[in-house]
Amino acid sequence: MAAGTAPGMNFIARYRKVVLGGFAVAVFFVAWQAIFLIVPYNPLFISKPSAIAEGFVDLIQSGDLLDDLAVSAIPFFYGFAAAVLVGVPLGIVMGWRKRVGEALDPLMTVFYASPLVALAPLVVIFFGVGVGGKAVIVFFLSVFPFVFNAAAGVRAVDPLLINVVRSLGGGEWDLYRKVIFPSVLPYIVAAARIAVGRAMIGVLVGEFFAASEGIGYAISRFGDIFATDRMFACILTVMAIAVVLTEGIRFAERTAFPWRAGN
Amino acid sequence: MAEVQAANVQLATGSAATIGGSRKSLWQRFEPTVLGTATIIALLLVWQFLPDLIPMKAGTKLFFAVPSQIVGTLWSMFATGMIWAPLGVSASAFAIGLAMAILVGLPLGVLLGRSATLNAMFDPFITAFNATPRLVFLPLLLLWFGIGMWSKVAVVFLGAVFPLLINTYEGVRNSDRLLVNVVRSFGANEWDIARLVVVPNAMPFIIVGLRLAIGRAVLGVVVSEFFGSQDGLGVVMVRAASEFKVNIVFAGLIVFAGLSLVMTGLVKLLENRMTRWRPEHLNAE
Repeated sequence: MAAGTAPGMNFIARYRKVVLGGFAVAVFFVAWQAIFLIVPYNPLFISKPSAIAEGFVDLIQSGDLLDDLAVSAIPFFYGFAAAVLVGVPLGIVMGWRKRVGEALDPLMTVFYASPLVALAPLVVIFFGVGVGGKAVIVFFLSVFPFVFNAAAGVRAVDPLLINVVRSLGGGEWDLYRKVIFPSVLPYIVAAARIAVGRAMIGVLVGEFFAASEGIGYAISRFGDIFATDRMFACILTVMAIAVVLTEGIRFAERTAFPWRAGN
Repeated sequence: MAEVQAANVQLATGSAATIGGSRKSLWQRFEPTVLGTATIIALLLVWQFLPDLIPMKAGTKLFFAVPSQIVGTLWSMFATGMIWAPLGVSASAFAIGLAMAILVGLPLGVLLGRSATLNAMFDPFITAFNATPRLVFLPLLLLWFGIGMWSKVAVVFLGAVFPLLINTYEGVRNSDRLLVNVVRSFGANEWDIARLVVVPNAMPFIIVGLRLAIGRAVLGVVVSEFFGSQDGLGVVMVRAASEFKVNIVFAGLIVFAGLSLVMTGLVKLLENRMTRWRPEHLNAE
């Protein structure tokens, strides 16, 4: 969506999108704060930016927010790392070995298409509500983007490069290391961007179920006790983290693989 | 954008599958199907006979529902008719939420695709909401809409509206400037442009958005029923899980997956019907 910026354009024209976007966000928060001058303010159901900011400062100072985030980050990290370690090699083999791909593709599609979150109650029973259970949910939700994208990446490898390596006497391992993996990398990063959101769903599902700590637990508990200011503070924090992770990966994609930026 | 990338992949695999078929032997043509089916059957057989092969403690066996049990449970759920009430609740939340997402997502997508100013203003919100797992709003939505149908509808709506909106937007942006200018030269107003050029042109994108939206909507029904509901298929599953009735949980999963497949199949039909005039479609047939 980055339009070509002509050198002669002035500041407003060049940063029009950013300025308009920032303006809209500012208007939104001001309107949110101001509307309670007209509408009666009921802190049990809604909050306002000033109260949310106070709640946020409160949560930071008491250290609760950071504690909860740290608790949630551990299963997120384990599950996500396992998804990369399992999904990428599996996807590469599926893309490279045609028969393996044909054999596993329908099975993987069935798994990917079915709402696996529905198995969360079982996972909780099997693995408990601690790090293990949440990590397993995260793993199952985030592994399939890696499998499918890695396979698609391998299928898109330039056959010429493969022939060159073969002609120069490269073996199967050289092919994987020199050609396949570097070509697949952009696809894996794209998969990571999709998988981050799904992994966050995994953590939240695990924590909504029956946790006693973690950011998902904090949100549902603040909801239960009608502490809307702190609930909004936690929700906005999760939104900020999600945006930073997703857009951060998008930025990394644009920087590291500029030839794919058009996609 | 993730959605649009998925669209490209799907289009690419779809066309590759149709082109490959002509001059091959019978075995070559059916090899992928046979291999794929064989893997699934093999897995089901291993699952079925695992309790006989590996000695299990009685406690572990309690957790272990084999495929024949699950199919039996599914059959009896339909035979006794006990599934219809919860399935009806879940399906109506799904349908209302998805319909609202279409009613909001499509017009807004067209509008944002046609107006750079509005797009710049809405972009931060759309990016933020689309990146965030919508599940995070569930406690808030429960507070606002209470436990029951409308909090579910809200979760389904929030999940489904963004893929539709973003794909419509991309499709509108993708429309041919020349065609827009032609109809405008002939005196078309913005409504005519949308109707004659922009929306037909964006249709493949919208269809992909719809397919993604269905997946998100099913997900929304499942999770909202897990945490904030008193009836529905998701509630049946959670209750079964807490009573260790693993077969019912799997049966519920199959029903949800079936719902998702049926809806995706309907979209596929719609897609064939609406894109029949496209040249690439004519070549593929």
